[in-house]
Amino acid sequence: MNGQNSRTKALAVFMLVLPLVLFFISLSIGTYGISPRGLFQAALSVVSPASHPEVPAAHRDILLRIRLPRVLLALAVGAALSVSGASLQALFKNPLVNEYILGISSGAAFGAALSLVFLGRAFPPQLAGFLFAAVAVGAVLLISGKAESHFISLLLTGIIVTAFFSALLSLVEFFASPYVLQALFFWLMGSLSLASWKDLYVSLPLIAAGLVVLYLLRWRLNVLSMSDEEARSLGVNVRREKILVIAATTLITAAATAIVGIIGWLGFIVPHLVRMMFGADNRRVVPLSAAMGASLMMIADDIIRGVSSFEIPIGIFTSLVGIPVFLILLKKTRKVWL
Amino acid sequence: MSIRVAGLEFAYPKFSLRVEGIAFETAKVTAIVGPNGAGKTTFLKCLGAVLPIPKGALFIDGRDLAALKSRERARLVCYVPQEHDTTFNYTVSDFVLMGRAAYISPFALPSHEDAESAAEALEFVGLSGFADRAISELSSGERRLVLIARALAQQSAVLLMDEPTTFLDPKHETELFRLIRKLAVEKKKTILVTLHSLEMAVQHSDLMVFMKRGEVVAYGKSAEVFEDSLLERVYDMQMKIIDWEGRKFVLR
Amino acid sequence: MGPEVKAKRCGTGGPPKLILIILAVSALLAPGALFPNQAQTIKDRLGRTVVIPPRAERILSLQPEVTRILVALGVADRLVGLDYFIGREDHLFRILHPGRPGLPIVSMPDESVNKELILRLDPDIVFASPTELQVPDSIQRSLGIPVAALASMGSFAGLLEEMELIGALTGRQERARELRDYFREKIRLITETLGSIAPEARPKTYLAFWSSLVRTPVFYEPVQTAGGRNIAEHLLPSRLGTIGTVITVEQILEWDPDIILIQGSFLPRERQVTVEGLLRDKRLSSVRAIRQGGVHYTLGFWYWWDPAGVLVETFYLARLFHPEKFGGLDLEKEGNAVYEKFYREKDIFSKLIGALALHEWTK
Repeated sequence: MNGQNSRTKALAVFMLVLPLVLFFISLSIGTYGISPRGLFQAALSVVSPASHPEVPAAHRDILLRIRLPRVLLALAVGAALSVSGASLQALFKNPLVNEYILGISSGAAFGAALSLVFLGRAFPPQLAGFLFAAVAVGAVLLISGKAESHFISLLLTGIIVTAFFSALLSLVEFFASPYVLQALFFWLMGSLSLASWKDLYVSLPLIAAGLVVLYLLRWRLNVLSMSDEEARSLGVNVRREKILVIAATTLITAAATAIVGIIGWLGFIVPHLVRMMFGADNRRVVPLSAAMGASLMMIADDIIRGVSSFEIPIGIFTSLVGIPVFLILLKKTRKVWL
Repeated sequence: MSIRVAGLEFAYPKFSLRVEGIAFETAKVTAIVGPNGAGKTTFLKCLGAVLPIPKGALFIDGRDLAALKSRERARLVCYVPQEHDTTFNYTVSDFVLMGRAAYISPFALPSHEDAESAAEALEFVGLSGFADRAISELSSGERRLVLIARALAQQSAVLLMDEPTTFLDPKHETELFRLIRKLAVEKKKTILVTLHSLEMAVQHSDLMVFMKRGEVVAYGKSAEVFEDSLLERVYDMQMKIIDWEGRKFVLR
Repeated sequence: MGPEVKAKRCGTGGPPKLILIILAVSALLAPGALFPNQAQTIKDRLGRTVVIPPRAERILSLQPEVTRILVALGVADRLVGLDYFIGREDHLFRILHPGRPGLPIVSMPDESVNKELILRLDPDIVFASPTELQVPDSIQRSLGIPVAALASMGSFAGLLEEMELIGALTGRQERARELRDYFREKIRLITETLGSIAPEARPKTYLAFWSSLVRTPVFYEPVQTAGGRNIAEHLLPSRLGTIGTVITVEQILEWDPDIILIQGSFLPRERQVTVEGLLRDKRLSSVRAIRQGGVHYTLGFWYWWDPAGVLVETFYLARLFHPEKFGGLDLEKEGNAVYEKFYREKDIFSKLIGALALHEWTK
């Protein structure tokens, strides 16, 4: 019993440290080959350019303007989607729930596309993304009504709302001028290639804010994962706190989707994996989901960037990597639920 | 800790509950009995404000329950459901710890004192060794005890238990009633339980409430109010109460 | 590389010599009867085998490049319908036909086609773009009309073959040959003026096409002909039917091009990638092209080529890459001459440059 406990603890520490390690490894991966030493010097020269005049400007630009924003984005989006998935699963008392099923992702994508097409790149798409993500999830809650704890009706409503917003998104593509459409090309596929500091200045704080809220609520999520009756009996203002959690997850998802498009599966797989390994207590699930999600995203993006000079949509990649891992672990623990 | 029902009404689409002017006694065990669909569970849920109740309907310790914040309400009264749906496989100690929710602000974590309260509650129900076990691994009897432990950790003066002994085998049933008695005597809790078994009700409770079709038909000390004609009125069938070695049995 | 043309011959008997002579003479005299009563079988750019009718009176072109060739060959009146781009967006057409041509628009930007409309228009043949993978088969299967996915694919030979095929199809072989020879002559002029160029003397050029910094064509002959080098040349296209591929910004930095060419065939207000934007992009500040101000607009693809336009573009690029050899070139005069040859109107080039604000071209 004790051996298992200390092993779990060690694993947890490893999981929390991994994103940090991967962060630095990811900075050294890219088409333009820079040795780790060269990278280190480039980092130093960013801090004080005068002391390292021999460092090529290209190295500095690559580190600061190309790789750093992209790796940060991978980290942030990975953590954001995983934590939001974990929170929604607790809230709706079902491990199959995630931000995609509830229509949040589709609403955010539609809003962001609408903004990009009609307001141009100058206006931050996160705003419209959040607006329509909130509309989507509101619609799901409203339509499924009192039966929101019943998963089937929630799932069906989510599918309907998702389909509706996907259709609206297609409509936007239809009316967009062919030039804007071509520019939207990558974003619609779901890609980190558009990561620039300008986008991050808006999205990172939003994601951070949402993550902080959910992190603080991590024990509360345990209580909220009880049936509404039980939660009420335990002294929780269920309606208010539910809205808070949903608002935070919607904010996170919208901020992430507005830059990278729709990336599915992460919010579903990562919390599952974490619960399988570390138990259901959200005091652990929330931070570990953030860490594991960040790691997964960075690894996926590293592979995409490192293997070829082409761009493979990362959404496809997370599924290709995540699903087999999930199946392996499912077999190993032989647990049906969590 | 007095509970007074001033005028409680609750309507479902096909059924309505109406209870007026009843008060429950502190540190006593009151059994609520009646046929299926009499509204026992509904009544209990209303008492715990799990179902929405209007102002002026229910007073605990002189305070209008409907006017209180969720937190304060939970410190007064706790509704313990019959079963818990194990979606997430929390450990027993994590589960019991949730009972402290009324004392922890939403953005905070449980303190050391909270953990201690939870551990004490677990000990009181006799499950100290189960702290690290997962809920799904427990038998239904053990799970009931965990639910009670969580209610204990909540430290509310009033405990409302919905059919706590249904589906338990005789041994566990008796142990559970012993625990309930202990809660009333040692912890001075006001306890209301809904029961199906009339014999258990009369044996283990101090007071009894008889409900039928959403209304309270009779209320009083168990020994006094328990008689044939009442039973016939409530259950619409002939029953006979037999006294044997100080215990009451119902023949149908 | 180009479409394979196999002609099926009628059976031959052994007629007397006189009849042969009469037949031969009549074959020469009858316009457009090179392959009398024979359908051609070609392989289009998607590898599909298509049976082209011997003559086409009613043509539906969903491929802007083909439409432009049809206009140049003088058979625009055979068009029964257009794609949305020529119908609504194409700047050249706005100059050639200031009022709308009045033809129905059959396709939309998302590659959807109005099949009922096509059926009603009853074309003898439909031309589609190879980038729209499913569309040719979809139309051909539903409606039984031959659909050929043609495009130059960025090569002059491809463009000229296309012109000849369409010339044969419409009975305008003469005109097609005239334009082809003119085209080849102009190219020859350029290559002769350039002379032999050492590989190091060819500027490393990166092409940022299709509204994106990271989408580039793996083959673009004008660059090569004009004495430059497309640094993306060795890459593979993203998929069948296209010649574009997607790279990363780091890749651009690694290549360190001397010149960056941006697709300038969009109206200024519609440009997502601009010269000013790139010069200001801090990620690219170390790139030679940025440092030396070597960022320019070129015409590029706008749903493939405009045959006159690509010719003028080659001149422009030749002057850009090797200014010392093309000092005497009056691009505006040359451009107007080329456009007049193809489309038989004056000053088209000047108007186009004005509309696209490519003032650097005519400096």
